[in-house]
Amino acid sequence: MATREMSRRDILRIGALSALALTTMKLNRAEAKTVQGRMDSLVMGGKDVSPVTKKERKAIPTACWSCVTRCAAMGYVEDGRLMKVESNPNSIRTEGVMCSKGQSAPNEVYFPDRLLYPLKRVGPRGGGKWRRISWDEATDELAKRLKKLRDEGRPEKFFFHYGRMKGSSSKLIKSVFLKKVYGVGSYGNHTSICEGGKWTGQELTWGKHYDNWDMDNTRFVLNFGSNIFETHTNHIPVAHRLIRAMKERGVELVTFDVRLSNTAAKSTEWIPIRPGTDGAVALAMCHVIMKEGLYDREFFKFIKATKNHKASVDEKISSLKKHLSRFTPEWAEKESGVAASKIAALARKFAKTKPACVISYRGAVAHYNGAENERTIQMLAAITGNVDNPGGRCRGVGAKWKYPKPKYHVKARKLKIVDGPKKGPLHAKLPTHHVSQLVLRMIKDGSQGRPEIYLWYCYNPAYVNGENREYAEILKDEKLIPFTVTSNIVYDESSRLADMILPDATYLERWDWEDMVSPAQIPEYYIRQALVKPLGQSRDFADVVCEIANKMGLPMGFNSKEEFVRLSCEHTPKIKDLPGGGFEYMKTHGVWHDPKEKPHYYGYRKEVKEKDLKKKGVIFDEETGVYWNWKKSKAKSEEEAKKKGYRHTKKAYKGYVGQKIGDKVYKGFKPDKINKSGYFELYSDILEEKGFSPMPTYYPIPEHRRKAPDQLVLTTYKVAMHIHSRSTHRKWLAELFHDNPAWINPETASRLGIGDGDRIKVRSEVDEIVTKARVTDNIVPGIIAISYHVGRQESGRYASGRKSPFGRDDDIDLKFKWWNEYGVHPNWVIPNWVDPVSGQQRWMDTVVTVTKA
Amino acid sequence: MTEEKKGLTRKEFLKLAAVGAGVAAGSGLVAATEGLSAKGPVKWVMVIDLDRCIGCKACHVACKAEFDVRLGVFRSSVIDYEYGRYPDARRDFLPWLCNHCDNPPCVKVCPVEPVEAEFKGIKFTKKATYKRPDGPVLVDQQRCIGCGLCIMNCPYKVRFFDPAKKAGGNPAANPASKCDLCVHRLDAGLVPSCVNTCQGRARIVGNLNDLNSEVSKLMRGARVLLPEKGTKPQVYYIGEGAARINDALRKGIDIRIEANSEYQLKVWKNGPYAG
Repeated sequence: MATREMSRRDILRIGALSALALTTMKLNRAEAKTVQGRMDSLVMGGKDVSPVTKKERKAIPTACWSCVTRCAAMGYVEDGRLMKVESNPNSIRTEGVMCSKGQSAPNEVYFPDRLLYPLKRVGPRGGGKWRRISWDEATDELAKRLKKLRDEGRPEKFFFHYGRMKGSSSKLIKSVFLKKVYGVGSYGNHTSICEGGKWTGQELTWGKHYDNWDMDNTRFVLNFGSNIFETHTNHIPVAHRLIRAMKERGVELVTFDVRLSNTAAKSTEWIPIRPGTDGAVALAMCHVIMKEGLYDREFFKFIKATKNHKASVDEKISSLKKHLSRFTPEWAEKESGVAASKIAALARKFAKTKPACVISYRGAVAHYNGAENERTIQMLAAITGNVDNPGGRCRGVGAKWKYPKPKYHVKARKLKIVDGPKKGPLHAKLPTHHVSQLVLRMIKDGSQGRPEIYLWYCYNPAYVNGENREYAEILKDEKLIPFTVTSNIVYDESSRLADMILPDATYLERWDWEDMVSPAQIPEYYIRQALVKPLGQSRDFADVVCEIANKMGLPMGFNSKEEFVRLSCEHTPKIKDLPGGGFEYMKTHGVWHDPKEKPHYYGYRKEVKEKDLKKKGVIFDEETGVYWNWKKSKAKSEEEAKKKGYRHTKKAYKGYVGQKIGDKVYKGFKPDKINKSGYFELYSDILEEKGFSPMPTYYPIPEHRRKAPDQLVLTTYKVAMHIHSRSTHRKWLAELFHDNPAWINPETASRLGIGDGDRIKVRSEVDEIVTKARVTDNIVPGIIAISYHVGRQESGRYASGRKSPFGRDDDIDLKFKWWNEYGVHPNWVIPNWVDPVSGQQRWMDTVVTVTKA
Repeated sequence: MTEEKKGLTRKEFLKLAAVGAGVAAGSGLVAATEGLSAKGPVKWVMVIDLDRCIGCKACHVACKAEFDVRLGVFRSSVIDYEYGRYPDARRDFLPWLCNHCDNPPCVKVCPVEPVEAEFKGIKFTKKATYKRPDGPVLVDQQRCIGCGLCIMNCPYKVRFFDPAKKAGGNPAANPASKCDLCVHRLDAGLVPSCVNTCQGRARIVGNLNDLNSEVSKLMRGARVLLPEKGTKPQVYYIGEGAARINDALRKGIDIRIEANSEYQLKVWKNGPYAG
């Protein structure tokens, strides 16, 4: 369109101006506020009408939970039944739009195979026979078993493993109940099978993780392996801003991916790349930028690029230039398959377009070299000054809720099975987000002890990790784990291996406060409220936890999550003072942000106040230039703290105050989880000590180096209409996507004698699967791509064709379901391997042999 | 979008419209002056900006939810159209729904006897399938006899038998169904369900008879599906991919084709009009 051409020219002009005066740039969304707009005479949203009765439906503000993005939403209810969920038009995050997953919400409540009653197994574990029990029986038994462990002084033998728990659910269950009240400090999460390596890469460079991509203000987006238009941890809030930026301001998006995802398809340019080589390309870009003097000299003040933290800017620049000298575009071309000329041109464009945003996700990080790739991508942002600036890669900003904390003084005990083994090929040296894919392996191993009760929540360990066959066997083995419990809404591959099933409420039937990162860089406070009563006998697991705590004689000061949310609204600054009271206001509006608040940028540039340096316990560390409060660390005395120093005192980062640079002390890049300095660290003493390169480098994937010419690399991916492993029971989504033939390039297929639609055998060193081939030009030669949402053995009739225990037949659509192909799950053949730095699961690295079946 | 909204005066628009009319013939480009008047009744149309569509299918699912549409059939969907050889492989997305034609073949073939009807003071004749004076082509399932003529004659394949309902004019058959542009929402002053959810704001609904409406301003260069059929569709496509929409319609892949056809096949084989 003409406007697109126009705006591109405009942008070039504006770009030149703003490069000189970036700080004065006007933010087009600094005063982000309501977007409840109109389209001509029509209202965009916030209400709904029945197509049958034409009556307006009851509108209740709430929040989605389909994925971790947790968009503020509106639920529409008619005669006590949830009819529809839309976005909350007043949310500054979503600005009133929603994805397909969010729109399928009614399916989540009413799917016919939903678990609605507490169940106890009859016969052997995994035998599939169940009897209904009462809630009293269920909570009595759990409370009794838990109390026994606690009374015997070994609460850590209760192992809780969650797949997703955020906002108030996380605080109530984990921070309050498990840690403070019950006294267990070890629990499993799932971050390492998601993007843990990305977070470790960030913690090593700029401290606390989460990068928000400021699409509203950027002028160029460079994408390493993010499928932002189909899926992302902050999907809708960022994706809709990106497409708007592209259309209205002519922003270009360049995507590196092994596969033509919808994001690649929608990009200005898709650049196919060999798997696991993103870091090589990013390094070569940094090489060009440094060599050609295109770097942002000013930002180097905040960079650590040498061992000596007092190095001058010139010294840092020359150190980095020297380090990068061998990573030429020609070298990167050999690794990645991306033309050297393309790498150099993109490097120049990225460095010269101000501001520009480099984005990354699992395509870059779910590898052997994942954390290092993220570190390299962080470096690309840093040397061009695109860090925490309008239009760049910003530090995430979210709501800060206060919540009730009962007074218990227990020292939490831990079972050391969450970080993988301490030696051998599966040892990760810096697993800041744990190694969840190895928890079951650690249980089998037994050297660090085993849990007596294993309870998983919003998690499907036998399906979501690699090596599914082995993991199901471990879970099934009553000798390894005497008692297994799950709280779930769906009877999935792991629920069937539980001894007791607690039917969970869906997110549409429960309460929460939420705090996900705001792409507007202004925190948004929002809540989730129950839209309808929990179906059947299902109950929010957090409410069950409250009851169990009471039954153990450990009251927490609240008896339900709704009460916890109310108390949080009454205690959180600003929220508590809202008109009508915080809880009432949030129930009516669902969302709130401070209209006076300015977007958060450049936090690192703030100077630390003199008085904060003089607080009791604050000392200066010569080695790093860090001011820190030793009292917040594990040091027992000031003397010990000074002797060990900031870097070698346990949990010293918790006392971080500021970074001395020259004669000033800045807030800098505050560390999290590791004792990093306040610099943006390109030189990492921590990595150096662990035996890795202190400066960002490239670690080729060893198995790819060794693979035979005919072998392929297996990569997995997500699609726009599913949520990880959590949505195949939703009929409207399953109807759109229920089969997952393996993508394979025509050249590769012909070499292997495989035709479109052929049955193929995919064999790795751990297992094999048989699936179908889809021969397509949408993929790099030499790899095979299989989406991982489907290939269910359970999860009900829409997902697997199998009816779940006590499944109902009252859904009319069971009669109209027209598919009977359910796909093949790729995780069976993917080993549970780790990035040796972060422990990140190496989803995209598996070498496979593919033959016609 | 917003710039255009502010920038174009009515005079400029008329000029553009005239230019558009000149180049319209044969290319699928639309003569934007057709049916245009400064005043007059509301005429709802939809403009789809393909630059803004990211193929997420939220519209598809939002429509399913809005009408609790049965499995196997769809009112609105998105076609994926793939073309080009590696490494220049490409994928387009084509949002697909009833075109609410000004010259609708479905209405023409409907054998149900027309009756006089009125909408907001405007008189019109109404078969079981009819065009409401404000634009939407609708189905009166109470009068529908489930003969399937409209389904067979829609060149866009957007109609289907509503599997769980009975045709009022022939309870042995299923009635025809399709996108109705969410008239219940339009009548309540609300955008259609697909427009509400669309994250790229690719779907834009508005009054084409209002020269200042967003849809009127987006008409320049707009194209329609299968213009050679003479159906005068009132769903317009703009953006870089608009030139390829007819290829996408003919060659693109969509679940709807599979699902609808499975169900329709069953109906044609076993239904009241089998054989």
